[in-house]
Amino acid sequence: MIDTIEKEDPVISEEEAAQYDRQIRLWGLDAQKRLRGSRVLLAGLGGLGAEVAKNLILAGVKKLTLLDHEKVTEDSCRAQFLVPVTAQGQNRAQASLERAQNLNPMVEVQADTDKVEDKPDDFFLQFDAVCLTGCSKDLMVRVDQLCSQHNIKVFCGDIHGYYGYMFSNLGKEYSYVEEKPKVVKAAPDSSDGPEAKKAKVDPNETTMVKKTASFCSLKEALEVDWTSEKTKAGLKKTPLDYFMLHVLLKFRTDKGRDPDPLAFPEDSLVLKQIRDDVLEAKTLSSDLLSDDFISYCFSEMSPVCAVVGGVLGQEVVKALSQRDAPHRNFFFFDGRKGNGVVDYFGPN
Amino acid sequence: MVHLVGSLRKELADSLSTCSVLVVGAGGIGCELLKNLVLTGFKNIEVIDLDTIDVSNLNRQFLFQKKHVGKSKAQVAKESALQFCPSANITAYHDSIMNPDYNVEYFRKFILVMNALDNRAARNHVNRMCLAADIPLIESGTAGYLGQVTVIKKGMTECYECQPKPTQKTFPGCTIRNTPSEPIHCIVWAKYLFNQLFGEEDADQEVSPDTADPELAWNPEDTAARATASEKDGDIKRISTKEWARSTGYDPVKLFNKLFKDDIMYLLTMDKLWKKRKAPTPLDWQHLENSEDSPVSGLKDQQVLGLWGYCQLFQHSVETLRSQIQEKGESAELVWDKDDPPAMDFVTAAANLRMHIFSMNMKSRFDVKSMAGNIIPAIATTNAVIAGLIVLEGLKILSGEIESCRSIFLNKCPNLRKKLLVPCILDPPSANCYVCASKPEVTVKLNVHKTVVLTLQDRILKERFGMVAPDVQIEDGKGTILISSEEGETEANNNKFLSDFGIRNGSRLQVDDFLQDYTLLVNVLHTEELERDVEFEVVGEAPDKAPPPQSKPEEVNSITNGNKDSSQPSTSSKALNVPLAHVCIPTMSRKVISSGVTHEAAAHIYSRGTPLREAQDVDTLLVE
Repeated sequence: MIDTIEKEDPVISEEEAAQYDRQIRLWGLDAQKRLRGSRVLLAGLGGLGAEVAKNLILAGVKKLTLLDHEKVTEDSCRAQFLVPVTAQGQNRAQASLERAQNLNPMVEVQADTDKVEDKPDDFFLQFDAVCLTGCSKDLMVRVDQLCSQHNIKVFCGDIHGYYGYMFSNLGKEYSYVEEKPKVVKAAPDSSDGPEAKKAKVDPNETTMVKKTASFCSLKEALEVDWTSEKTKAGLKKTPLDYFMLHVLLKFRTDKGRDPDPLAFPEDSLVLKQIRDDVLEAKTLSSDLLSDDFISYCFSEMSPVCAVVGGVLGQEVVKALSQRDAPHRNFFFFDGRKGNGVVDYFGPN
Repeated sequence: MVHLVGSLRKELADSLSTCSVLVVGAGGIGCELLKNLVLTGFKNIEVIDLDTIDVSNLNRQFLFQKKHVGKSKAQVAKESALQFCPSANITAYHDSIMNPDYNVEYFRKFILVMNALDNRAARNHVNRMCLAADIPLIESGTAGYLGQVTVIKKGMTECYECQPKPTQKTFPGCTIRNTPSEPIHCIVWAKYLFNQLFGEEDADQEVSPDTADPELAWNPEDTAARATASEKDGDIKRISTKEWARSTGYDPVKLFNKLFKDDIMYLLTMDKLWKKRKAPTPLDWQHLENSEDSPVSGLKDQQVLGLWGYCQLFQHSVETLRSQIQEKGESAELVWDKDDPPAMDFVTAAANLRMHIFSMNMKSRFDVKSMAGNIIPAIATTNAVIAGLIVLEGLKILSGEIESCRSIFLNKCPNLRKKLLVPCILDPPSANCYVCASKPEVTVKLNVHKTVVLTLQDRILKERFGMVAPDVQIEDGKGTILISSEEGETEANNNKFLSDFGIRNGSRLQVDDFLQDYTLLVNVLHTEELERDVEFEVVGEAPDKAPPPQSKPEEVNSITNGNKDSSQPSTSSKALNVPLAHVCIPTMSRKVISSGVTHEAAAHIYSRGTPLREAQDVDTLLVE
């Protein structure tokens, strides 16, 4: 059920202006208008998905499609706040729909119960941005490739216990604007005060500067070559979370699920083995990634979903509004240390 | 053998279901925090907030919907949280945390207190209560894209008041009254005008030309010119603005001509002021009447009207406020509120008319509201990140790992070390903190012959030193009681001067706030040489002045953590603040300063005086 938004109306309604006031004061009316014309696909309504859904709906996108084929389990109710406790057995996207819609009646929220992998290529083309959570590596690589061909912005993210990451691909030539303080030159009839005779930076006067950035594909980002001496030298500055991500993605591919707290002893052993295999395949020492992470990467931790969901949500907002420098191209969060790092992985 | 319940070790998960935690505030951070706590497995949560829900909250305070506007935030937050976690035990209080019911005993119920506040006074108070109860406190704040979390533990870390925080920016009276040079000066003037005409008249909020301006050196020849200019409609100085306005029946045109013509002409006679400045140009209602105004489209609020448009806005808002005041009766006083349309219209109009007079570009209602209402822009995602971090710090505390707690800063862009989130080691308590040191002491400079007891109580002890209910004894060998927190007991002392009680240079006052379990020794330093408009100075701190114009935005090293800094609405304070400029700081982690300013203030983000030392990046201290 959506309240009427003037179609293609360049003017924001008084109702929207009142509700979005505090964010319009931050990112401006233009950005808000662009958000309001954007359509986003969100796959996966686990802990991270729910956070991203909330953030995008509150921001005021035009339409958000919740895509999830999974059913609500007892755990799902504890993992996210959109699914009612009575919804067990229901489809997760559908169960989340009502509360998601109530977050902001001005956004059109839709539930889709299909599997992401079953969707034909042209399904994705109706969106301005696609956000994938809980997907296998191959699926993400495929969707990323398809979408970036059509200038659709791609975001991926997952949470594993205390750890989380997000990835973005905004295309080879992504342009955006940044607000910079204006340097006011001295002028005899300066119009912001009788005393403005010297050049100064007026914090209230700003100007928009245009910039561009280039992003690589997810495939390229994940297949960085570590064999050369040069890249190995760069290891010291490389967040180890990158390698942990590979381990967890491989676990998901091999087992068809994420590490399960109820199978802790067995899954820990599998994780250790995969860690060894992954690092060996990259010609790196297995010492690089200690055993430490293993007991902290199970399940989705709510506060970690909140942190990564917040960063990811804001990246989507920035990309849709084409305003402010995007994080390029990974964000890794370590909930045990409180570290949040942005780093680029891909061809130079 | 590791035993997990979800992501958590079993021992930790178990402790979550038995412990009690307190969340102070149910707004932007509070809603996100409540959600995280409940989903993480915290079973017993108490949440307190004195506020009700407003439509402008709905872009981020996601536990509230449009149908809840006007209702108690704490109450609705609880109900919404129970929707997705019916087994949680949540108690909601629609109340102020500064209510004496929430005493040290109350705080001791909790294993952890988490602040989700927006004003300094409450933060100071909770800081002291947690010190008194010896309960760990997680403090946090956000503004726009920036945020911070830190942990406060008595004896182990800095308390909230260990580091001096910049106080509200104030402007000298003569700038407001005679020589405004920036839009903010005109806006402050307009808010003062509102109070003088419709609200509580305040001697510190004069709007008429200031003849005691130090820049002026009066010549006798000027006196005649001034005398003529001030003759119109009575002597400017002797009759109160409100009385004069009442005598004209709040006639908008008469008000307009006095404020924007006669008073400006008076200022023009003070020619020393205009030697190096562009002189103001008075307005005349008759000449402006019916001049063309360009048609408007799009959002009304974001338009800048023409001069006649603001004349009309002035007229309409005066007429509306006049009827409001007449409805309320003889000695009615209105309180300025940015969300009250005629009050906001009035300030928009008056400020813009004055800006025009002083050759400044006029501003839209939207922009004026930002400045006048001290609005801090806010979004859901920043609050979501910070609330997540708060819970993670809380879990460390509950696991007995408080040494692994950190201050964490959220930047807008990654720093030079690629960090978007920067954890920093917590600092130890400051040895001479006037709150958490073992025998806190301060020295205050003031004029004992000119400072009254009420000023000591309200401006110094309550406002500046954050006390809620101070009791003051003079250390004069007799234990003379100067101020009693019991209502009415020492009221007779209020308007007496400190010197009347024998207080002089070197006197010492013992100040207690029993609710906060806090004793402060105040040394009095008598002086006859305080700056204009300054009532007192705390020795050891930079003077409370507006800083010089900023030159380098990169030197930002503070973010605002809140806005409401006193129980009074923003108009009664002298200070207004410039909205935040959001810039990327490509530097190492910064020390965050919280400055509380009245009602949703965007505090001034450029630190004054010496920049606070930079927080140390954890990586430089830990072995990787």
